[in-house]
Amino acid sequence: MTKLYVDSDKFGYQAASPTVEAFHGAIKDLVRSKLATLGGDWNSFVFEKSYELITADDMRKIEKLLIDAGHRFDWSAAISPRERPDIYKPAAGVSDASISTFSFRHPEAKTAPPDKDGRELCGAGDNVASYPTNTVGVARYIRTPDKVLQFLTEGVPVETIAVIDDSGGTLTAPILAHFKAVICAGGTVRSHLGILTREWGVPCLMNAKISGIHDGDTVELEVTAVAKTAEAYQTGVEMTANVWRLKKA
Amino acid sequence: MSQSHVSYAQILETNNLMQNCSDETYWLCVTRTVQESKLFPVPAYMMLSYLMAFYRYPSLLRKIETRLLAEEIGDRARNMGMKIQNPSMGWALPGFYLLGREWLINMGLLKPTDAIEDIIYVMNFWKRFQLSSHRNDGHITNKEFGHRAQLLPERRLQVFHADMFDCIAGDGLHSAAQAFMAAASQYGFLIPCESRISMCNSGPYKIADDREMVVRDFMDLSESDFPWLDDIATDVPHNNVTVTMAVKDCHFHLMDDWGSFESKPEFKPEQLVGVGLYTSDHLSDGYVPLGMNSREELISTFRLLEEKVRDATTRLWKRIAAWKRDQMIDAGAIVYFAIIKDLAHIAGVYEVDDWMKVDERAERFRPLLNDEFSRDALGELVGLVSHPSQQVMEYTMAQHSNKPTRMYTNIPYSVLQGEPCTATCGPLHSGITNLASKKDAYRTTRGILTLAEYNRLSREWVPPLLTDKYRFLCDTWVKYHAGTPLADELYHLEQDKSRKLKGKGSRLRRTDVDRLLNDRHVVLHGLARHRDRGAFAGRGGGPAARRCHRRQVHVDGSGASGATRRVFTRLCRSAREHRHERGVWSI
Repeated sequence: MTKLYVDSDKFGYQAASPTVEAFHGAIKDLVRSKLATLGGDWNSFVFEKSYELITADDMRKIEKLLIDAGHRFDWSAAISPRERPDIYKPAAGVSDASISTFSFRHPEAKTAPPDKDGRELCGAGDNVASYPTNTVGVARYIRTPDKVLQFLTEGVPVETIAVIDDSGGTLTAPILAHFKAVICAGGTVRSHLGILTREWGVPCLMNAKISGIHDGDTVELEVTAVAKTAEAYQTGVEMTANVWRLKKA
Repeated sequence: MSQSHVSYAQILETNNLMQNCSDETYWLCVTRTVQESKLFPVPAYMMLSYLMAFYRYPSLLRKIETRLLAEEIGDRARNMGMKIQNPSMGWALPGFYLLGREWLINMGLLKPTDAIEDIIYVMNFWKRFQLSSHRNDGHITNKEFGHRAQLLPERRLQVFHADMFDCIAGDGLHSAAQAFMAAASQYGFLIPCESRISMCNSGPYKIADDREMVVRDFMDLSESDFPWLDDIATDVPHNNVTVTMAVKDCHFHLMDDWGSFESKPEFKPEQLVGVGLYTSDHLSDGYVPLGMNSREELISTFRLLEEKVRDATTRLWKRIAAWKRDQMIDAGAIVYFAIIKDLAHIAGVYEVDDWMKVDERAERFRPLLNDEFSRDALGELVGLVSHPSQQVMEYTMAQHSNKPTRMYTNIPYSVLQGEPCTATCGPLHSGITNLASKKDAYRTTRGILTLAEYNRLSREWVPPLLTDKYRFLCDTWVKYHAGTPLADELYHLEQDKSRKLKGKGSRLRRTDVDRLLNDRHVVLHGLARHRDRGAFAGRGGGPAARRCHRRQVHVDGSGASGATRRVFTRLCRSAREHRHERGVWSI
């Protein structure tokens, strides 16, 4: 088989991700075989004939190789498993039916039984900005565009503390300003969602490691805590704010 | 072709530029944020955009330079808040192109020796633009300047400084400005499909011992290039909006090449003590004030803009939420790839098919772009730097990670001694789109134009400050020619739309502007001036007058002996005459 330039790499061997390695390996096999049909003439291949010899259909076949082998992809955008449920892992806790029993359960969540005031520690997150008082409200999971559309149509219930696993700034774009606070299970205080909540003056904990909070629980966020700094991220210093449950739904 | 006609010096410089981008891209990617979204398949569209950049940038940049050189466009960039600011040009232009190249190498579809004339050209274009747009601070990137972006000339900074309105937390202007910036930021993440490329911060600029000024640009807000804003952003009255912010007791120690900042202490809204508002594009005569005639007008302008932007956000979100995945990928890939599209607008050679389509050569790879592969391939490319092509000898310690890695592969020098290479990826190919066709309506500072009109005006218009007469009158020249008729002409052009500085001329210094803004200064310095009006009004007049000025203010004119007073009187008369000849401005 025709040898590629990158087959002689002294230091690089394979990608770190098995999925990437599988895809890239298959593409390189494809390139070797197509290049062989040209007698190994790279110069006529690279910016001329390869445009016809390497096609979208070839890429579909490569994806099919993995699917046929039983692999199912992780998903991040809600649209992806919705359009092609056959190639993605099942999505849990996104439908109205399942959300009532769903809760984030981070393995490193800092938890404790209720204290003398009845506050049950359910985890902690990185405080985006410090406020004079803690924020109390009702936890409501927002994990899909459908849920955002529902709130956009019906209005965001008062006292809503949005519980989100998307650190982006677009999922909740039309309703973010109406939240009382946000708990985000991902990102950092510099993520898009962190930037926007700071701009809106909506209290927010990012990178929240929480466990056991259900839709409708009354929770308190320790947003009086010091905001996590850039230096703290770079030096690995923990600066967290607690999340307590005050009352179950 | 198997050989090229590039020189050793060209490859040396290109590899240097690439490695500077490599180091900074790594730092930006690992210290900023993970790109994710439940709404958009972000990594999928980013990977596609890199391929589009690799295949199309060389041809499109060459097309642009048939009308205007990179360094000429760089001059224009300093004169407005359009989307050729640092995120677009300081980072994305080389970054997207080189990331596309690197990914293709790792798929075995490219050799490091391929398209070398393209690579050299793209990096050279970038260098010339950057040096020009950054000519005031004399650096090629914010990174090179220690993460600082002092792009603007004194004359523009003085107008920004002088015309800002004071505000304090809780007052009407502060609330209106904050609400607008929050709404514009929200909208600014949605338009470009969960990226921050609609916004850019630059500065900081020192405006007082305890204050710094940051310039915030919000770009591509109205109906203009993106088909998804057609009939959605119709009522957003300005495509580009610039907010000037005075911030107290807060030092912006970092202004990166993505246009985001860090400060000590952390910036909080209550530290915002002054704001101004402008619009601009390459068809305007620099920055045009918005609602800046009075505090009340500015408040109502911020409120109106906030309302329009919030309405557009809701409508746009509903449109996007109904899209297919391929439409989301198209929009994201196009907005990323076309991050430099305004270069074509400025040159007057913009075509929809050049910028709003996915190149068919890149389109071949769309079936690979499921969420998992895209996430992992992107993460390896810019975060882990773990693709095989990015591994180098074990003795290497990369700038930030200390690992033996390099984000971008150098052009091997062996091409100079006969190793086969190719010159270019070839001319533009056609493109596809899953989005609606672009409506022929473009919001500009000259109103809503058709594309033909827009291109025609772009080719015809040269902002007065950038005409041949003034283009090279830089701050270094002004330092030695302040007060001359030509310098005053230059400053008058900039000051023409200023509420406070109209006609003040070129001898003005920062403390003079500060006096205009600060009653305490006016009272204190006014007393001193009153004692010797004419001789000590304003600044300048040469060393003798300045010494005399300091002496007078400090000793309050009362402690001088008869002989000293006579010397002062003589010096001051001389200074007065000298300054009169040069037409000194006095506040």
